[in-house]
Amino acid sequence: MFVFKDMAKTLINGDETMTVSQARDLMREKDIRHLPITDAAGKLVGIVSDRDIRSALPSDMVDTDSSCREESVMILSRPIGSLMTKDPVCVYPFDTLQDVLLLMQRHRVGALPVVDEDGILRGIVAVGDMLSAFIEVMGIHQPGTLLCVLAPDRQGEMKKLIDTISDEGISTGSILVARGIQGGDGRKAFFPYLLTNNVARVKQKLIEQGFEMLEPVKWYLDQLPKKS
Amino acid sequence: MLRTGFLYDPRFLLHVTGDDHPECPDRLRLIVENLERSGLLGQLMQIKAEKAKQHWIETVHHIRYIMRFEESCAFGMPSIDHDENRICYDSYDTAMLAVGGVLKAVDAVMEGEAANAFCAVRPPGHHAEFDRAMGFCYFNNVAIAARYLQEKWGVKRIGIVDFDVHHGNGTQHIFEKDNTVFYYSIHEHPSFSYPGTGREFDIGMGDGEGFTKNSPVLPGRGDTEYRKRLTDDLLPAMSAFQPQFLLLSSGFDAHVDDLMSGTNLSTEGYNFIFRLLVDLAVRFCGGRLVSVLEGGYHLDTLPILVSNHIKYLADLK
Ligand SMILES: [Zn+2]
Repeated sequence: MFVFKDMAKTLINGDETMTVSQARDLMREKDIRHLPITDAAGKLVGIVSDRDIRSALPSDMVDTDSSCREESVMILSRPIGSLMTKDPVCVYPFDTLQDVLLLMQRHRVGALPVVDEDGILRGIVAVGDMLSAFIEVMGIHQPGTLLCVLAPDRQGEMKKLIDTISDEGISTGSILVARGIQGGDGRKAFFPYLLTNNVARVKQKLIEQGFEMLEPVKWYLDQLPKKS
Repeated sequence: MLRTGFLYDPRFLLHVTGDDHPECPDRLRLIVENLERSGLLGQLMQIKAEKAKQHWIETVHHIRYIMRFEESCAFGMPSIDHDENRICYDSYDTAMLAVGGVLKAVDAVMEGEAANAFCAVRPPGHHAEFDRAMGFCYFNNVAIAARYLQEKWGVKRIGIVDFDVHHGNGTQHIFEKDNTVFYYSIHEHPSFSYPGTGREFDIGMGDGEGFTKNSPVLPGRGDTEYRKRLTDDLLPAMSAFQPQFLLLSSGFDAHVDDLMSGTNLSTEGYNFIFRLLVDLAVRFCGGRLVSVLEGGYHLDTLPILVSNHIKYLADLK
């Protein structure tokens, strides 16, 4: 749940004096798309993405044009400090996945540098790390079964569901809750991911308690506009 | 009628999984009782099980896992690798016996004594990985049979069709880099069903790329979807691969009555699968096919489906 667990801890960073060309080569060599830039003390001063570099260069479609080539050479020899995003959005190691998700969405960035309270670069967290983190949070890196359960939206349904699952001695990888999935019928859907193969009995018990098992295709067809 | 082999041994009941476990001895007891009652059992060539030589288990499983499993049983541990993989003192011997029995069924077909065979074994095998037990499975019966066919009988290309409702992760992993064994599985979609593997993008890797194929089926779907996927996915894949022997991981848990899954295959839908697989074996393998029981947990339905399956094998339907 915390950034420190899921961030890339191996520091690959540049400094402001390196050229755009050097930065580009480093990113290619390390196969990364975001390069944090630090000062001599290791403090984060900026970040540059492969996209920043690409969009600064003239299109390589017109490779033959000599003025373009000159322009490219000129840009590539400039210091990276002139191209980077200064004082970028960053997170602390003790921030959460929730923070990272919302920041990535708000600022439309694919990676956030991670700094400590002194501003020293400690790592970076990218979209790929978020995917891995969520796969783990949902428990789906482990074998299990996903139930799709519809329940009335009232207090106590979640408890009933969890009690039934734990009475069966089944461990749970995650439970996702979705409201309004059934289009205004006032029910909500639970998606418990159970770390077991053995789901026949727990399903039977849930059905006996009035829960409905949702079928994906049937659900989708119900969402389509009704022919009148 | 064809000469169909039937492997069963009462010692398969000695793997006791405890109260309320779906993979219970009654599964086999009821299968055999039903075959007896209908008179079908008497028409089949009986195959007796004997313990597999450890060498054959080692073609698929790591020696340390084999020993760990043996010791866990001997020391009275309640389970291995996950608490749903229950074990008792006799589980190891039973698993050895199941593998050995399947290998004898393979021999019977290769020697021409039987045209094909069904193996009513416990414990099942397709979830068992190289180095660990999973999903009620300890030794991967079918995977070991494939290696045995290659090493002992020199059969080059083996087709495995797994129609258990769960993906056979163990079998897939064991052969994913191998272009001599084609693993095809049709199962409930991994977003919903145990163990969560077996997506269409799993197609094998390295030399084995293109020799694994998965057809996930969404919960709620049944006969029509199975018919379509088997026709569109399995048949062309097997035509291209040209297997010389067909091994089946036969699971009966995709049936609408079986709450272990959300798929709604009917009894008729299963018959379609049985017919198609027998035809497939005839077309490419001279009819040579060994079918091995995996899952199937609805105790009223399972014996009927197995009996139907055997009728198709024996050309009685
Ligand atoms: Zn199964």
